[in-house]
Amino acid sequence: MNNKEQARKRIGEILEQAPEAIVDDAVLTSLVNSSFLLVELVIELQEEFDVRFHQADMNEVSTVGQLIDLIDSRMKP
Amino acid sequence: MIDENLHWVLSFYRSSEISGALFFGELARILRPSAIQQDMTRHFADEANHARYWTDCLQSLGAEPLKLGRVYQDQYVSAAGMPANIMEILAITQVFEKRVVAQYSLHLKTPNIPTEVRETLDKIMDDEHWHIEWIREALIGMQDDYGEDHIKETQKRFMEADREVYKKTILEHGQRVGDLRLASR
Repeated sequence: MNNKEQARKRIGEILEQAPEAIVDDAVLTSLVNSSFLLVELVIELQEEFDVRFHQADMNEVSTVGQLIDLIDSRMKP
Repeated sequence: MIDENLHWVLSFYRSSEISGALFFGELARILRPSAIQQDMTRHFADEANHARYWTDCLQSLGAEPLKLGRVYQDQYVSAAGMPANIMEILAITQVFEKRVVAQYSLHLKTPNIPTEVRETLDKIMDDEHWHIEWIREALIGMQDDYGEDHIKETQKRFMEADREVYKKTILEHGQRVGDLRLASR
């Protein structure tokens, strides 16, 4: 499983969503019922994949695909 | 019977402490083992205890907690953007904790404050000061990773957001917290 597939699987697990709901163009705010849950998702992904996001990154991320791309771009090869 | 405004304010404190406990509990679960994880776990436990104190306080005053909607800290994300990493979480938490201490201090100055409320505030205040202190030290420890200036800029951004949220809260609930504002003059 590559980085992107791992990230997608983990997002689904954290959000307790069916894998088919974790499509690239799914808007993150539509998958969570509170802003706190979105913050928790972002922190948990950084902890698990050992990457760091910045405020400027988060301004550019609104969909699952963008979040997965961000994780992938920060992971060491 | 408890005054209607005090009933709301104490229920607001309770809801806010519950939200804090749930959030910090989740973070304590997520974070890797570290000093921050340890302090975050204690912080989570404190917030849960504070919610219990307010619940007990309301009961001792003959009232039941009101079920309130959006809590104060929910509004930070829309005012300042989502915290992007653990440093930003700590920065926003420090700003919020300072607001809590200011609010509880203001409440302690209220004339004719019921004994039950005063005792609850006194019990909580020591913990609140520790919350500010552990986060301050954690942020200092992050200076090599994130940069001192960047941390200060982040704190400034969240302080501005807090001022905006507080102003909005006062506009929305001014009548309910009127006694507290009068006490500050």
